[in-house]
Amino acid sequence: MRRMLAAAGALAAALAMAACGGGPAALPGAADVQAAPMPVGAKDPADVPTADAADTGCDARASLRPSGELPKPGSMPAGSTMATIAARGRLIAGVDQNSYRFGFRDPASGELTGFDVDVAREVARAIFGDPNKIQFRATNSAARIPSLQDGTVDIVVQTMTVNCARWKQVAFSTEYFTAGQRILVNKASGITDIDGLRGRKVCAAAGSTSIVNLAASPAKPSLVSVPDWTDCLVMLQQNQVAAVSTDDSILAGLAAQDPNTAVVGKRFSDEPYGIGVKLTSTDLVRFINGVLERMRADGTWNRLYDKWLTALGPASPPPAKYRD
Amino acid sequence: MTVTLTRPPATGGARPGAGGARRRLVPRLDSTPRRLGAVLAALVAAGLLLGVVSFAGVRQRAGLIDGVTTRGGELTVAAQNLYRALSDADATAASAFLAGGVEPAEQRARYQADVTKAASALAVLAAGREGDGGRDDALATISAQLPVYTGLVETARVYNRQGLPLGAAYLREASGLMRSQLLPAAQQLYRSVAADLDRGRDGGAGFPWFAVLLGVATIAGLVWAQRWLTRRTNRVFNIGLLVATAAAVLLILWLGVTALVAGARLEAGRVEGSAQVDRLVEARVAALQARADESLTLVARGAGGDFEEDYVAMMAQLAGNDGDGGLLALTAGQARDPRTGQAARAAGAEAKRWLETHREVRELDDNGSYTEAVKLAVGPGENTTSARFTALDESLADAIAVNGDRFQARSRSAGRALTGVDVGVVLLSALIVLGAALGLQRRIAEYR
Repeated sequence: MRRMLAAAGALAAALAMAACGGGPAALPGAADVQAAPMPVGAKDPADVPTADAADTGCDARASLRPSGELPKPGSMPAGSTMATIAARGRLIAGVDQNSYRFGFRDPASGELTGFDVDVAREVARAIFGDPNKIQFRATNSAARIPSLQDGTVDIVVQTMTVNCARWKQVAFSTEYFTAGQRILVNKASGITDIDGLRGRKVCAAAGSTSIVNLAASPAKPSLVSVPDWTDCLVMLQQNQVAAVSTDDSILAGLAAQDPNTAVVGKRFSDEPYGIGVKLTSTDLVRFINGVLERMRADGTWNRLYDKWLTALGPASPPPAKYRD
Repeated sequence: MTVTLTRPPATGGARPGAGGARRRLVPRLDSTPRRLGAVLAALVAAGLLLGVVSFAGVRQRAGLIDGVTTRGGELTVAAQNLYRALSDADATAASAFLAGGVEPAEQRARYQADVTKAASALAVLAAGREGDGGRDDALATISAQLPVYTGLVETARVYNRQGLPLGAAYLREASGLMRSQLLPAAQQLYRSVAADLDRGRDGGAGFPWFAVLLGVATIAGLVWAQRWLTRRTNRVFNIGLLVATAAAVLLILWLGVTALVAGARLEAGRVEGSAQVDRLVEARVAALQARADESLTLVARGAGGDFEEDYVAMMAQLAGNDGDGGLLALTAGQARDPRTGQAARAAGAEAKRWLETHREVRELDDNGSYTEAVKLAVGPGENTTSARFTALDESLADAIAVNGDRFQARSRSAGRALTGVDVGVVLLSALIVLGAALGLQRRIAEYR
């Protein structure tokens, strides 16, 4: 009996030692393999651009008043920027190809479509009488201002927020859409607003105002930047970030691509969208504002909104403000 | 054998009642028969040692050359296939994406074939690995990341079919994974296998210095023994020792000459075959990556600046900035045979045309004519960048096949140079032992 007990004790000791000795040996090289890949160009932590959103020394929404009646299509005032565009035969517009519902390429037809694209077509219609006399150039967020400055594009219609810092580099039309920054999360995450992101990772496009707003928010989330908004959704789906945060307009486009995500929380920024124009082309700014006035008045704006953005809820065109 | 041969003279000459065997140990060799016995023992030992060393050396070098030949035929080809299949999958997935919602069946099939080829090449490489730590890491990376890569491509495909821009984002991520992890690991594997091949070749081409020096020492011993015998016995020739000497000389010459021939053939195989193949493989992969870059720039829809930069870098590596330099010009300039030179020049001309057509594609895309740009990049017809790339790739594939075959042929002929040498050296060293034994045994017998 004592021998049996001793044997049992030895067995128990051996088992305990085996348990302490750890599991099976690790496979060679297995430790070096990353769990999941990240989008090309992802930066964690993100570089935060200089806080240009904080510049409040102006009324960003106020643009230049239209100079009288719109000239008839095909007869632009001589010497004006519009006349140069008319002589070229097409308007060159910078748009996004990856913002679902604002500016994106329909994979089936290969054509660019969306709210921003249709707004740009209205400007072409006003100059030429034909909405198809337009050439689109796909630009990403960071390239919008440089391509206006070097004349690569005539206008930028690309979910572009009007602010005072940008007014120093380019000119803007009156506001044609109002957005505000919110967050996109997995429905199952239980996160309801930005305070739930304290210490969590949040994704935004490199060089966007969204990053600046996030960095300034009291929740102080860790920031991850990617070249494109769709890359943020990829990271959210791969559980590499807890949320995506930018204008609700863009977030709605992302949410539409994945029914398991939702746009939540209150707007914590005010993002008036304007059409970007070269700083010196004031005649074109006034002309575009005339086009926007007409769109607000004749129901074109509502038609386009209903065509693309009903998912964002009912809306009416934002009123125009002028600085003369 | 030495013991039995030396013992009879030793016991025969033992002096009875002598004091201090230790002191007599050296004087014992004073008598001629005992000295003859010692000389015989030394010559037999030298002959046996020479036989064993030469035989082992020849077998070892033949084994190394055989390894070079089979590895040249298996591991190198597998590493090349892996590298190429992975880059081809990357390029094909990207261009299939450009076709719109549903990719063409033919491109889908090509992508699937690439993945299958990569997986089977990986299996060959995993089975043939030699505990090389660096290679294990590369194998682990590819084994772990290949399924992740294909998963991303399928996710991209599903979203693309639904017409969602998210598909393009997944494809970009897949390609990023391919370039940042899979292709570098495949390149590391290829280099590691090539380095093994070099080591095997250097071993196989080595000169058997030890055996040859041992042979020279044996000959010197035989000559000295004959002169010593002549002084002692007044007989000019000892037939046995003469035969042994001739056998030793023949053995050294055979060993040395065959080693030199095999070495020269291996070196020729390296210069004409594998060095060229290395450059051609590198060029082919650069072309594939440039092709993937071109498609991804279009897939990225405005966010493709990085891919375009990479295209420029890859094409510069392949063909220089203007299409007249790079790897292709280097290969053409250093070509050891007309076919390789011709293929490299043809590929260079194609690369130049590709650069031109690519500029047109970029111009169309940058000016907003996206659909036309895509048509020029992946559409049917002879003037598309797709046709340019295919022609370039085929030239390089032909050249790689020709050079691979030549390398194999050279290695096999190097192996043939050593055929029969192993048996020959055994027979010759047996002749040395036999000649020395017979020649001296008769002299020893005269003293009994």
